[in-house]
Order: sequence, then C-alpha cells, then structure tokens
Amino acid sequence: MADRIAVRMSGIVKRFPGVVANDGVDLEIRAGEVHALLGENGAGKSTLSNILTGLYRPDEGSVEVNGEQRVFSSPRDALDAGIGMVHQHFRLVATFTVAENVVLGESGGSLFMNEAQVAERVRELSDRYGLAVDPSARIWQLSVGEQQRVEILKVLYRGAKVLILDEPTAVLTPVEARSLFATLRAMADEGRSVIFISHKLGEVMSVSDRVTVLRGGRTVGTVDTSETSTRGLASMMVGRSVEFERVVRENPADTSVTVLRVEAVSANDDRGRASLHDVSLTVGRGEIVGVAGVAGNGQRELAEVISGMRASTAGRITVQEDLVKSGKARSAIARGIAHVPEDRLHTGLAASHSVEDNLALKNYRTSQISKFRLLKRGAIRHQASTLVERYDVKTPNTTTPVRLLSGGNVQKVLLAREFSALPKVLIAASPTRGLDVGAIEAVRERLVAAANEGVGVLLISEDLDEIMSLADRILVMYEGRIVDDVPADGADRERIGLTMGGSSTKEATQ
Amino acid sequence: MRSPIRLERRLEQPKWLNWAVPLISLVAALVLGAIVLWLTGKNPIDVYHRIFERGFAGKQAFSGALEMATPLAFTGLCAAVAFRMGLINIGGEGQFYMGAIGAAWVGIAVSGTPTGITIALMCLAGMVFGSIYAAIVGILRAKFNTNEIITSLMMNYLAGILLNYLIFNSKSYWRNPDSPQFPKSKNIAARADWNTYKIFGIEMPIAFLIAMLAGVAIWFLYKRTRFGFEVSVIADSPKAARYAGIRTSSTIVIVLALSGALAGLGGAADVGNFRGLLDAKGLQMAGYGYTGIVVAALARRNPITTIFVAIFIGGLTKAGYSLQGPDFPSGLVGTLQGLILFTAVAGEILIKYRLRTNVSRAGAVVA
Amino acid sequence: MKRTNKKFAPVLLTAAFAIGLVACGGDDGGSSSSSEAPSTEAPTSEAPSTEAPSDGPVVVDCAPEEGPLKAAWVYVGPTNDGGWTQAHDEARLAVQEHFGDAVETTYKENVPEGPEVAQTIEDLIADGNTVIFGTSFGFQDAFVEAAAAHPDVCFEFATGYMTSDNMAQFYGAAEDTDYLAGMAAGAASKTGKLGYLASFPIPEVVRGANAWTMGVRAMNPEATVKVVWLNTWFDPAKEKQAAEALIAEGVDVLGQKGVDSPATGDAASAATGVLWTGYNTDQSENYPTVWLTATTYHWDVYEIPRIQQVLDGTWTTGNYYGNLADGFVKLAPYGDNVSAETRAAIDARLEELKAAPGSEFTGPIKDNKGNEVLADGVAHTFDELMSMAYLVEGIDGEIPAS
Repeated sequence: MADRIAVRMSGIVKRFPGVVANDGVDLEIRAGEVHALLGENGAGKSTLSNILTGLYRPDEGSVEVNGEQRVFSSPRDALDAGIGMVHQHFRLVATFTVAENVVLGESGGSLFMNEAQVAERVRELSDRYGLAVDPSARIWQLSVGEQQRVEILKVLYRGAKVLILDEPTAVLTPVEARSLFATLRAMADEGRSVIFISHKLGEVMSVSDRVTVLRGGRTVGTVDTSETSTRGLASMMVGRSVEFERVVRENPADTSVTVLRVEAVSANDDRGRASLHDVSLTVGRGEIVGVAGVAGNGQRELAEVISGMRASTAGRITVQEDLVKSGKARSAIARGIAHVPEDRLHTGLAASHSVEDNLALKNYRTSQISKFRLLKRGAIRHQASTLVERYDVKTPNTTTPVRLLSGGNVQKVLLAREFSALPKVLIAASPTRGLDVGAIEAVRERLVAAANEGVGVLLISEDLDEIMSLADRILVMYEGRIVDDVPADGADRERIGLTMGGSSTKEATQ
Repeated sequence: MRSPIRLERRLEQPKWLNWAVPLISLVAALVLGAIVLWLTGKNPIDVYHRIFERGFAGKQAFSGALEMATPLAFTGLCAAVAFRMGLINIGGEGQFYMGAIGAAWVGIAVSGTPTGITIALMCLAGMVFGSIYAAIVGILRAKFNTNEIITSLMMNYLAGILLNYLIFNSKSYWRNPDSPQFPKSKNIAARADWNTYKIFGIEMPIAFLIAMLAGVAIWFLYKRTRFGFEVSVIADSPKAARYAGIRTSSTIVIVLALSGALAGLGGAADVGNFRGLLDAKGLQMAGYGYTGIVVAALARRNPITTIFVAIFIGGLTKAGYSLQGPDFPSGLVGTLQGLILFTAVAGEILIKYRLRTNVSRAGAVVA
Repeated sequence: MKRTNKKFAPVLLTAAFAIGLVACGGDDGGSSSSSEAPSTEAPTSEAPSTEAPSDGPVVVDCAPEEGPLKAAWVYVGPTNDGGWTQAHDEARLAVQEHFGDAVETTYKENVPEGPEVAQTIEDLIADGNTVIFGTSFGFQDAFVEAAAAHPDVCFEFATGYMTSDNMAQFYGAAEDTDYLAGMAAGAASKTGKLGYLASFPIPEVVRGANAWTMGVRAMNPEATVKVVWLNTWFDPAKEKQAAEALIAEGVDVLGQKGVDSPATGDAASAATGVLWTGYNTDQSENYPTVWLTATTYHWDVYEIPRIQQVLDGTWTTGNYYGNLADGFVKLAPYGDNVSAETRAAIDARLEELKAAPGSEFTGPIKDNKGNEVLADGVAHTFDELMSMAYLVEGIDGEIPAS
C-alpha cells in the first residue's frame, strides 16, 4: 500500500449560526486506503465531507489534494479534482436507464450521448469493481443496493480518485453490504482512496485500513484499524471526559409510581424492516431514564412508537395504566406524552409556520384555542406571548416563522409547547444536539425542572456525558434491543461504550 | 462555466413584494409585449388599447370577461385548494366533466321545482359527482401513496371517454334521442335555467356570484378553521402533522374531495348557466381544468385572488379572440398571453428568491 | 348570456332538406347509360340556388352604408390545419381576391365550441362585419341566437341545418367524391383490408364512409373497410395514433372523413406500402409517396356569388347543397400510385356522378348486418341521404348507439 497522501485537510473550522460544526479538524487520506470516518451524529462528519466535496467552504483551514492546495466552490470543482461523493439519498432519475444516469450532468460532455459507448464503459467499470448492474436497465427496476451501485458508477465514470460514501450500509441488506465492502476493497487496491463514513463499529473494523474518530467537531485521533479494537474505537467515540458532574436533584425520582410502561413492543422502520425487538421499559414519576446507543439502533423508532407517530407491531404502551393507541399521536398527546423529537424543525415544528401557530400545534383542538372548529386567533396570540415571555424565546414577534429563529430559540419554542402542556411523560431525543453552550445549559435545566415536578423523562441521546450527568438510570440500545440497564450513579463508561458497540454485557464487564 | 447570476432563497418575504412584484411583472410583460409587437410591425398602444377595450372596459366587454371567467374561477379554486396542501390536482378537467354530468342529470330530470331549488340541486349534484371523482385520487394517494398528478391526469382521460360514451356512443339517459344530425344531450328543463343578473348594466351570471362566494368560503376555511390549520401544517411538513396528531390521510381525501367539488360546481354552472345541456365536445375543447391550474398558480394559491385572476385571464382570452385576424396570427396572440404568464411566474420566483451575482466569488476562486 | 338552443326551437327544420336534390329516377341498376338522367334540382353552376321559406324570400340588406363590405369567417381549427379550416380559409382568400377593395375579410381561428362563439360574433359585429360565416357544426346554436339578435347581419353557416331570414346554410355532396376516392383506394389495396378514420357517428360522416366503401368494393369486391370513430374534429395526435393502430392491424390503404388534419398521411408515410386518400385539401405535394386522391371542398364557389348578392342588395336566406357539377366538391389530383386504368375508371364514374349527384346510393345495397337497405334500382331520397344511419356491407365496424 502506497503511503502517498491523496487528501490532507488541516485545521478545518466551519461555523454555522450558533454552532461550530468543525472546530479544527485534521484528516489525512492516503492513496489506496479505505479510511473510515467515525463519530456520532453531530460530530462533524457530514460537514467535513461537504467541505471536501465543495458544498461548503471552510471558515479556516486548508484542503490539499495530491499536495496541491485547493479551494472548491462547487461539487463539480471537487469532482474535477477527482473527489466524488456517493450520497445516502440517491440522486437518480427513476425513468432513465443506468447509462443515462451515469452520464447525466457530466461536465464537458457532448449534448448527445453515445449510448453504446457509455454502456460499454459502464460495463467495464462494473466488471472491474464487482458492481453488477445492467447499463440498459431503468432505475425504477433496480433494488436499493443496485441503485447505490449506480451512484458509485456515476462517480467512477467521472474519474474520481477519492470516493466518499456517506453511511452506505444504512440502506443495504447484510449480503449487499458484504458485496459493497468487496467493491471498496477493490477500488482501494487500484490506488483509489475511499472515505467511509459510518457510526457502526463492526463495519468499520471489517472494512477500513485506518480510522479517524471525530467528536464534537474535533479530531480525536487517527488509528490503524489493525492496531485497535471495537472497544478502543468505542472509547474514542464516547470520550473520556471526567469533567461532568451528576446533577443534584431537588425532588428525587419516585419509582414507586410508574408513569410510562412499555411492554414487549416491536416496530418496523420506514422501510418496513423490523427495527425494534421486544422492548420493555418503565419510567417512574420524576425519573429521568437515559437511553444510550449509537444512532440507528432503534432509538428513533422507540421515541416514535411511544409518541404515537409510528405503529407498533407488537406489545403495548400505557401511561399510568391508560393505553396509548398504537400509531395514534392524538392518543399519546391525550394521555399526556410530550415529545421533543430529534428533528426539531421539520418534525417537532412546522418550519414555515409562525411561532404562535407552532405553540398551538398540539392544543389547537382544545376549547381554549378553538370553538365550533373555528380558531380563536386572539387566544393563540395570547398563549404565544405568554410562553415566549416565560420561556425566554428570542423572536422579533410571535408571527415570525420559526425557521428564521436560531437553533436555540427553535428548541425553546418546542420545549415551551411541550412543557406547558403539563405532560406526565416527556420523550426527549437528542434535545441538546447542535445547540451552543448556553442553550444546552438552559435545555438541561428545563429537563431537570420537569423531572422535579414529577414528569417521567425518557432522555434519548448519543451524548453519554449528558446521559450520565442527568439520568437516574441508563438503558443501552443495540440493534433494536435494550441490552443493558444500569443505575447512572457510578455507571462504568467503558462498559456502556462497549455494549453500545455490540459487546454483550458479560464481555463488557470482563 | 459558472453562471454569473444565481438565485438565493429569501429568508423573509417582505410584505411589499406581494403587491409590488405582480405590478412590476405586469409592467414587464407590457414592455416585453410592446417590443414583440413593434418588431412585428404593430402599434403596441393600439393593441393594448384593443385588449383593454374588448377584454375589460365597457359593460359588454366586462360581461363577456365574467362569462369566460366563471368556469376558470371554479377550476382555479379547485387547483388552489389542493395546492394549499401541496397536492397537485391536475384532475380539475375530469372533475368538471363529472360535475356537468351530475348537474345535467338533475337538470334534465327536474320538473316543476322552483328555479332556486333546481339551481341548488344541480349545484349539489355537480359537487357530489366532482368530489367523489376527486376523492378516488385522494384515496389512492392516502392509502397507496400513488402520485396524484398521474392518477388525476389519467382520470381526466377517463372522464372524457365517459362523456363521449354518454353522448356519442350510447343511448344513455343524457343522450337526446331526437338529434339525428349530431349526437347531443337532452336540454335541461326550463326551470333549471340559471339566472343571469344585470348589475349596473353588467351581465352577472349567478354562477359567478357562486364562485365568488366559494372563494370567500375557501379563504375562511383555510384561514380561520381548525381544518385549514391542519391543511397548512401538512403542507408545511407532513412529519410535523403526524407528530401533532393530525389525521393526514383523511385530510388528503377531504381536500381532494373539496377540490373536486369546486370543479364539479363549475361543471354544474357550465350546464345550468351557459350551455343548457351536456356538451360533450365543447367541454373537451374548452380545457377549463387545465387553464384553472394556471389561474391558481398565478393567484399564488390564494382563493380570493383566484377569482380576480380568473377575470383577468377571462378578459385576456376574450381580448385574444378579438385581436386575431389575417394580419394578427393567433400565434402572436398566444405569445402575448404567454409573456404575461411568464413574467408572472418569474415574479413569483423573485418573491421567493433574490438574485445574487457570483462575480466577486468567482474572482476569489481565480485568486 | 344563456346559450341554449331550446329558446330557439328549430324554426326551420329538416323541411329545408326538401330542396336541392330529388332522388335519382334510374330504375335499371343506376347505370348512367339509362336514357333517363337522374333529375335534380341542383343549383346551377352560375349561382347557387336558394329556397326561401314558404311565405316568400325576405331580402336582407346587410351591405354597409359606405366603405367596403366587411365579411368574417369563424373557424374551429387553425388556418394551417392542412384540412377543413385551411380549405375554408383558402375560400376566404379567393373571396378577398375576387372582390378586391370592395370587400374586407377577416377570420377568427381556434374558436372552441362554447361561449367563445357568441362573444366572437359580437366582437366581429362590433368591428363592423355584416356577413359572418360559421364553419363548425358546434357553432350552430350560437349563430342562430346571434342571427335573431342581429337581423341586419347576414349569417352563412356551413354544415348545419337551421335557417332563418338572415341565416343561410351551405354544404355539398362530398359523398360523390368520397365514392371516387374510395375507387382509387380499392384499386390500390393489395391486401383487401382498408381502414377509415371517422370523426363522429353522424349522417354526414356515415354517408362518407359508406360511399368510400362502395367505391372501394366497386374496384375490389372482396375488400373490407375497418372504420374507427375518433369523436373529434381535429386532434392530429389522436388521428395519427388511430392510423398507426389500423396499419398495425394490416390495413394497407387509409381513408378519412370529418377528421381535419393530414396526420393520417404522416402515419402512412412512416409505414411501408401504405397509401392514403385525404380529405378537404390537396396534399399531393406534401405526401407524394402515399397520396392517392381526396375529396376537396371549394367553398368559394358558393361564397363569391353570395357576397355578390349582398353587394347587389339581393341576399336572401337559403339552403345550398353543392356538387361536382358546381365545382363545389372536386376530386383532388391523382398521386403516382393511381394507375392509368384506375384513373380512367374513376374519370368515367365521375362524369356519371356529375350528372346524377348521389346516384352511387342506388340499390341493391345491403347493410353490414346483411339486411337489404335498397332494392335493386331504388335510390335514396335526399332526406334519407341526410339522415343515413347504417353502414354498408364490407364495413367492419358499427355505428355506436345506433
């Protein structure tokens, strides 16, 4: 394996309003290697790859390709320099053939394609890298795995020497994933570089030559895969910070009263695959239960099932003995379940709607806000001005669309609505992700305050520090199951990190 | 290779743009049109004067504009109602036919009921037929996530085939058995003949009054009711709607049914107020449903604006026939009408986006 | 703004058809060698004959006080449709050329059958037009209504049946040329399978299909004609599609009636070994490889004398049915695909039909269900021709809802 450096990114800083996504990231990619980029959601992986492919421009730092400093102003620039991205969401025209999609948008290409020639070249590429796909097939006829191959062929066709794959296995079956890994290996053996973005430790271990771990927008380090282990990577991912302190609660949890009971619940993901298996848990009055785990292990489905956004395939959910109807958000709301979803702006809120409309999003059906099915505009406005004041939302006025607010204020609008409904249970999914320090502190205070008032909180987060400092009890999720359940006080970080990565609790405690 | 100009989405849409842009669009259209006219050797002032005179000004011209506007107001509302929820109902055309079929059925069947009741019954039949027809599209969309553009378009053809069948290819209830020269439908009963009022010398079809009423009702429904709120949330983010416990599937069906009811009402008006029978061939030539989509787009989905845009397009269409002749090919008329629509759409883009130049950035790249 | 025809109950109905033609009198198989030439009251070639209502002709003075006479044509299709509307506009241009500065003509094209018709008429009258020609059946109600509202304007309507003091009707015996075109088609067919694109199942079109088929079988007795109904006057895409479907079924000669575009010619040109008889206009130069011949209309033959009557102050209403002798209908020039023998046969038959319009419909005629329609030597009356509702033997198809 040659040690020539294909790409070097150094000191990359990228700020967004209220967030520093990359805070001095260094990354070095050798020619002919599969290099995994590992980190939890929000660690800065996507931002970094968007910078490398010319979608964003860094605020600081430099990008060198083959030893030459480059500034890309568009993905096409990056592609011209041999850097191509295979997106998680395919950008293919369903009614076109594979060959047509491959040449689509090709720079400097002639207006009319020579179909036979393209098909020949596509066939040659697919043979070489084991990307079996028929050039004359239409995209809609292909499976998801085949469509991904077309995406890869598109990038190869344009002569990319460095390929970035953003969580490529998320959409694949295990068999398809294995075949993808073989392809990646073949490309690396030919001297191309593959950047493999993932948060699945097992895959990273099996496919990569080296791993760079990002955490909180910074590079934690780069290691040779052969010299590390799942355990080592897990501890790099979750960090070894000792600065956190356990929050001291005013009113401790009262676990004698169960507010939320989840019994043997299973559910499918958006593609209909089983992603929650026989999950049972309870949350007591005033208890904060943390759910730790690497993203994509069923946490989102768990939150959605409890909040009625997703139907369960088995099991039952009750709030103080009252059944929550499967897949009925109305029922969950009526039972007193509040939900702070992961995707605040497009799930928790209607982004183009005003602050006041969003604050009424869940109680517009109540007599307080509407009568004879007519909205009481005055009441909506009054409710909004009260909440904006109480929750200290910084907004020009209550008719401003929430998408114009900063991330912290977006979250405050959401929390204001969810807390003001006086819930019995609160599901909070990554409630502090992407927020600045001040906003994080405010959100945490609100969560603790809610628990002090007796609300049972299910805190789903990839930020282990957050869980360890706030939760009373920690559950670990892996592949749709709860694999560990430990009291937070005195919990062993390393053990949690390992169970998150798929080690059994027995292995983890050894 | 890079374009020197690019569009950037506006974070906030200043309120003044909402009236300034359409105005500027219209002026731009007139200027562009004047250039085209001048190049083809016409006097733009004369042409514009004629458009105004024959399309809008004067009692007779305006009466004609209203007549042309009435079906477009209904199909415009039909499209606007669906657009509001991000649904693209291309099916106004077929739903209009269905409404006409339903209303003609009532219009032919009634005898002896007072005109007012007949009109109400015909409206009801038109709405029921149109809404059921559109609801099929809604159910397919809600239950099977079928693309409503395709299904509604296909159902237009289906409705056309049904019309042909009823009048040309069968001895249906609608078919007039005494039409040896050309297959026609039966005429509706005399009492089913809708009124046209003379208001200040302007002939106001009762159907146009109904359209205005419908426009206001839709505006109220969408602005002031829980249902309207739910529709707007679904349009904004289907996920947020699900999150908030809004019944998305049934709302889709209801919105499409409502949309179809409006087109069906237009079909009823066509039978009752204008043609007096089910005109299978004339309806298919008119293409009201498709023009209605343009009307709704120009009106930026606003139901009240839709009514005004319908009058505008109605007058413009009428003026278009007035303009053409041996020295004014209908292609040039189409070009002028197209320019107005084009600038209106361009204006719409300018409300949503702003123009930015890439010049300084491009320079930086070189450096 | 009511646009119903019930208010204008047909003042004059089919009684109007009584004029024009009287059935052929031949009693020996319709052969023109018979000494009794079919008697007709057909218009002379100098000026179309018109017949006034029974209480005597009312002369309508629609000439302007001063300045040129303004005449307008209202078309359902575009003037370059290569068919129906184009033939009408060619007539308009002929009128314009004939009268020069004395007449000012204009037209409105692409006018849909709906409220637009009445508005367009009003608009034309506001512009000072005092003679208005309507050229689509679906305009009739609007014309009747406008005629009632504007007694000082002369309305001339092609293909309809309702007349009034100031609204006349005109059309012509296209079935005769359809028959002759059918002969060319029948002679040219190798497979004996022919196709016919028809617009609406109305007597005019049924008559054309029957005449064409009889022409086909005069030359090719075993041939069959497959008829498809398109339910449109003008839809080139649909016409082409239907033609292609017929070709795919093995048809090698296509004919058409009532559908106004030459799209069928396009479909025939794209296939190999398929020939075409057109309709309305001479397309021999545009489709040389597939062209046989066609029925063509020469509306100016009627229109020029009628405008002259307006200028002379002698215009009265009427109901004109032109023919080969008038030159109102003609057979378009033959294409190269029509052999010399066929030409001779057609030319001979043409002379017979010129002398006896409509005589191709002389028995024995059977319909395509095997029933006898006309016994040997018996001919249709004019009324029967105008209300024809059966398909002749040899046609594969049926009249919907008949």
